[in-house]
Amino acid sequence: MDWQAFSLSIELAVVTLLVLLPFGVLAGRWLARTRFSGKAWIEAFVVLPLVLPPTVLGYYLLVSLGAGSPLGRWLLDSFDVRLTFNFAGLLIASLVFNIPFIVQPVQRAFEAIPENLAEAASVCGLTDWQTFWRVELPLAWPGILSAMVLTFVHTLGEFGVVLMMGGSIPGETRTVAIAIYDRVQSFDLAGADRMALLLLVLSLGAVAASFFASARLVARR
Amino acid sequence: MSDRRDGPRALRVEIDQHEPMPLRGRFECSAGELLALVGPSGAGKTSMLRVLAGLMRPQSGRVEVGGQVWCDSEQGIFLPPQRRHVGLVFQNYALMPHLSAADNVALAMLHLPMAERDAQARRWLDHVHLSSEQQQRRPAALSGGQQQRVAVARALAREPKLLLLDEPFSAVDQMSRQGLYRLLAQLRSDLDIPILLVTHDLNEARLLADRLVVMDAGAVLQEGPPEHIHRAPRNARVADLVGMHNRFQGVWMGPSGRDGWGLLKWVTAAGGASEAGDMLLEVRDKGKIKPGQPVNWVVPGDGILLGAEGSGQALEARVSDARHLGEITLASLTLERNPQISLRITLAGPQRQRIGNGDRLDVRLDPALVHVMPLHPRPPLEVEQ
Repeated sequence: MDWQAFSLSIELAVVTLLVLLPFGVLAGRWLARTRFSGKAWIEAFVVLPLVLPPTVLGYYLLVSLGAGSPLGRWLLDSFDVRLTFNFAGLLIASLVFNIPFIVQPVQRAFEAIPENLAEAASVCGLTDWQTFWRVELPLAWPGILSAMVLTFVHTLGEFGVVLMMGGSIPGETRTVAIAIYDRVQSFDLAGADRMALLLLVLSLGAVAASFFASARLVARR
Repeated sequence: MSDRRDGPRALRVEIDQHEPMPLRGRFECSAGELLALVGPSGAGKTSMLRVLAGLMRPQSGRVEVGGQVWCDSEQGIFLPPQRRHVGLVFQNYALMPHLSAADNVALAMLHLPMAERDAQARRWLDHVHLSSEQQQRRPAALSGGQQQRVAVARALAREPKLLLLDEPFSAVDQMSRQGLYRLLAQLRSDLDIPILLVTHDLNEARLLADRLVVMDAGAVLQEGPPEHIHRAPRNARVADLVGMHNRFQGVWMGPSGRDGWGLLKWVTAAGGASEAGDMLLEVRDKGKIKPGQPVNWVVPGDGILLGAEGSGQALEARVSDARHLGEITLASLTLERNPQISLRITLAGPQRQRIGNGDRLDVRLDPALVHVMPLHPRPPLEVEQ
């Protein structure tokens, strides 16, 4: 069992979630509440990471952020910052790859809230911020919770983008999915077996728990 | 009443909007008065309430409540709903599904400390007769009538300067409705604020409201006490909207010779004069219509009398259709002299027992209740007082 890879995956998933959650909630709510002519294009870009092969996405990230690209060169020259083959690069890849997993369920959750509840809240004297905290967020919470679990589990298991952007540097970019691949390549099927099983149990458990929690939250209404 | 409408707690509204949808009209409502906005779906009743609540900004207009200007497009004033102190009961109540009844009411009092908020919420829910056990339930666990009481309590907890009710009775059964009518009557005497009720149910409007505002296609057509609108609708559309079935066409012939009276020629819907050209009625002349002008005219149910004796011209009629509905009978009568003309009457009491299909009887139209209207309505903003 490669515990180093495992803890790196957990760390990546937690940081991805922490960064993506506020963005996802704001973006999802904005998409749910506004209508404008170019909205379909923005929604298409949100879904793109879901339909694009991970290697394609990783490739574009690599060529646009790598040291050979204008942006990558500028970051390296000005700030001595490198965004490929390290944890920062892994995080950027993970953030982009997870956008649809957080934004879409959150958007659906906010869309499901009747618009007149926000109106009723404003007539009751609530500011927009109070309406968000006291009405919209509690009602959208089951959707937000499942978005969080999906993003977390998805980050644990992501492979293609991570490999393109990070390679397989132990302790730096070798996540559990890459470690499993490496074990299989070196014919260590027993090692791969244990890690794959752990990932399977963890993912299934997290998703099932979020479904149970959502169902309970919805039933309480 | 009119002096109170100028009072410091009165509501004054004047809206003139063409885009995105037409919304025009002017009306007033004094403190303690209940005004009903009536009209068909899409008449603009709910939009009018949304303007008053601050949920919709009109293209042009002015709203003043209790001496405070809430909206004035000329001066660029538009207070958001948070600053209006308005109680609004939504059509489907718009209760927060994740909060108990008590917490829903407390939500309208976030400016108070939590303990006081809870105590006030309990007090308001007691006021609308919700038991303490029901107060802790979420909306989904309450009946339609109970949910509506919570919505009313939440609107009142805001200590509103104006109470707006949007079709509040549409989703509750007849039994709960009676209880809610009583609650509303009680509130009217307790609160000294203008109350606006939107409804498409004319009987409900007549039962509850001091005055009606009749709306159609975004415009206020007429404002006044229900009995006044029923006696003297401003035009044929108002007559239709307030459910006056006995509406006919005619030609105004001018003064009859008797002082204050004039002659009305009864014309069939097809356009020409009736075959019996002498179908002339002598009715009240208000001196507003020129001789020879085509008119619409109505007679309310009260103005159709059975029997040959009494005032007014007797007409021979035959019962073409009589429907006995519980305590009342609805009957259609066709005139013997012109079968194209039919009258509709509602009968109650013993006289309805004598009515059957094909029966012949004499009817008279009470000339004092016949109301004659010019064919072309005046522009809607000139509200008839």
